[in-house]
Amino acid sequence: MTNQETELGKIYILPKAIRTVARDAALQSYGVIGLAPATLGEAINKLFCKGADYGILVKSDSDGFELTLNLVIEYGLRIRSVTDSVAETVAYHVQKVMGVPVKQVNVHVRGLRISNPD
Amino acid sequence: MTKKKNTAQDEIRHAILRSPVNGSGLFSLFEAGLTWLQANQAYVNSLNVFPVPDGDTGTNMVLTMQAALREAEATGTENAGEMAKAIAQGALMGARGNSGVILSQIWRGFSRSLDSLPTLDAASLLRGLTEARDTAYKGVVKPVEGTILTVIKDIATSAKASFERGSKLNEMLSEIVEAAQESVKRTPDLLPILKQAGVVDSGGTGLAFIFEGMDRFARGESLEINEKLLKPLAEFDLDHTLEEVEEGQDYEVVLDFTPKAGFDLQEYYKGLEPLGTSIQVGEGDGIYRMHIHTELAKRFEPIAYTEGQGVVKKVMMENLRDQMNGNNPPEELKLTPVEKGQTGVVVVSPGDGLSRIYASLGANALIKGGQTMNPSVKDILAAVESLPTDRVIVLPNNKNVILAAENAAKATSKKVAVVPSRNAPQGFAALLRLMPDSSLEENLNSMKEAIQEVHTGEITTASRSVQIEGVQVKKNQVIALFDGQLVTSAPTIEEACESLFKKTNIDQFESITLFYGQDMPLNRVNQIADGLKARYPSHSIEVHEGGQPHYQLIIAFE
Repeated sequence: MTNQETELGKIYILPKAIRTVARDAALQSYGVIGLAPATLGEAINKLFCKGADYGILVKSDSDGFELTLNLVIEYGLRIRSVTDSVAETVAYHVQKVMGVPVKQVNVHVRGLRISNPD
Repeated sequence: MTKKKNTAQDEIRHAILRSPVNGSGLFSLFEAGLTWLQANQAYVNSLNVFPVPDGDTGTNMVLTMQAALREAEATGTENAGEMAKAIAQGALMGARGNSGVILSQIWRGFSRSLDSLPTLDAASLLRGLTEARDTAYKGVVKPVEGTILTVIKDIATSAKASFERGSKLNEMLSEIVEAAQESVKRTPDLLPILKQAGVVDSGGTGLAFIFEGMDRFARGESLEINEKLLKPLAEFDLDHTLEEVEEGQDYEVVLDFTPKAGFDLQEYYKGLEPLGTSIQVGEGDGIYRMHIHTELAKRFEPIAYTEGQGVVKKVMMENLRDQMNGNNPPEELKLTPVEKGQTGVVVVSPGDGLSRIYASLGANALIKGGQTMNPSVKDILAAVESLPTDRVIVLPNNKNVILAAENAAKATSKKVAVVPSRNAPQGFAALLRLMPDSSLEENLNSMKEAIQEVHTGEITTASRSVQIEGVQVKKNQVIALFDGQLVTSAPTIEEACESLFKKTNIDQFESITLFYGQDMPLNRVNQIADGLKARYPSHSIEVHEGGQPHYQLIIAFE
């Protein structure tokens, strides 16, 4: 949880809010097909809870956020280019929307979707 | 030789007009697409949304297409389907950046539908483009419209309409290009950030140029004019244009003008030719810049002539003969020699003044480059290899150069480390920590620490109107960035500095150093510095010549 002090009071930004922004940015990024559960707990949630929130881990300390994205990517794309661009897009959007610095974005490619085998 | 090549190209062109097209015909079409994209690369790069010149979509697409054609050339097949497959494979392996990835996906869809068809005709082009669109859209969950995706969609739609009208391959190509250009024009209506920045989508524009190049080739139109006559202002290099003055080159005249309606560049060029030599014409944001060398008696004629072609904004004149008589000798830089076994440093510097400072701080090799003139991996590699030591640190001093520096580091057998310095002050801070006799790791760690400790302000002119992070910027307004973030815009440099200092919470710093750019007259800089010194008496404020382009001031805060 991050907090910022203003003249009127404190603002808390919870990881869930960051995840929402990061997910939206990741899914708009070219080549990203979806998110994948990162932990056993998330995998179980995915199975049993409708609308479960999984795939993005948020850590924070005083210098900013560290995001870890677990992604499924479209087969047939240059993965390095896709991951570079998704990391950049997510960092940009989170910084813009939340006004908090993002110091690191880790991208884990958990799977590929093959919609057209060559 | 050229003649022979032309005939060969004519044959392919005729084959396209007759259609169907075989493998080498398809290759020529793609080659033409790349050539035309390259000719317009700088324009595509200029369509960035952020108001400082650092776009790279054009470059990314060109690199992707080059990789595609290299692969295609290696196969040399006459089968159109196999040629398309090689193009798709090459594009996939060489895809750079977001636009490159989407482009590779477009060619992948295109090639899949051709399968191993021996030739391409209107029907298979339609199938190819339809599949290209579908494949491109499959790559993303939430497609953003107003991008290259929209353009390929509109291309596929127009191909269908064109096919239903019974068009032949070449007619279809022309109609596609028209649809692509229309589609590009509509992108700002679909994507608000483009409208805010006042540009069209860069990736979509690049795709339209590729198809336009193919169409121009099929029609027999030139693919070079644009490149030869008109270059972007950023590439307008007027330094060292002359080693010695020849007969009839007494004066250098450079003038900026906005052309009147119906301005014809080729005609304009023709009118200039009798007036002098070394003619160059550049364009940027609607302003044209003309450069010419004339003899003494004709020095005012280019101005009078240009006045008939548009509105002259600014004229700069220089007496070359006087300059050549040794009144402005270029300064030699004294670089520190490095010995075998020591740690050497290669520094990328955008301006002469900055280079002198780097040299005095102990740089062993300098490469000219920075914003909009990034040095290539090869340049950096050459500098690294030129040093007699095998432990080298590279200071890129620009965020767009870091990647090239890292690639150069991988490409050599020497031990090379890159300190990710993003601007000149970080470069100075890092270089100050250099200990030639310590190991590469010790130097690297200490330099990385150093670049965290310095903060940088940059003052530049907005290249277009835009609204970003709540800051309203009008074209040609002065903007200030702090550590790469846009913080303020103002009508004058003084006000921009004032506002930058306020927003950076200036009391946390003790020392402020101003490096002034190549376009800043010294007396203006001194005025600004005096104003700042009077207002902030407890800070130590220093001024140095930086000589960098684009940025009027680079400010180091410590």
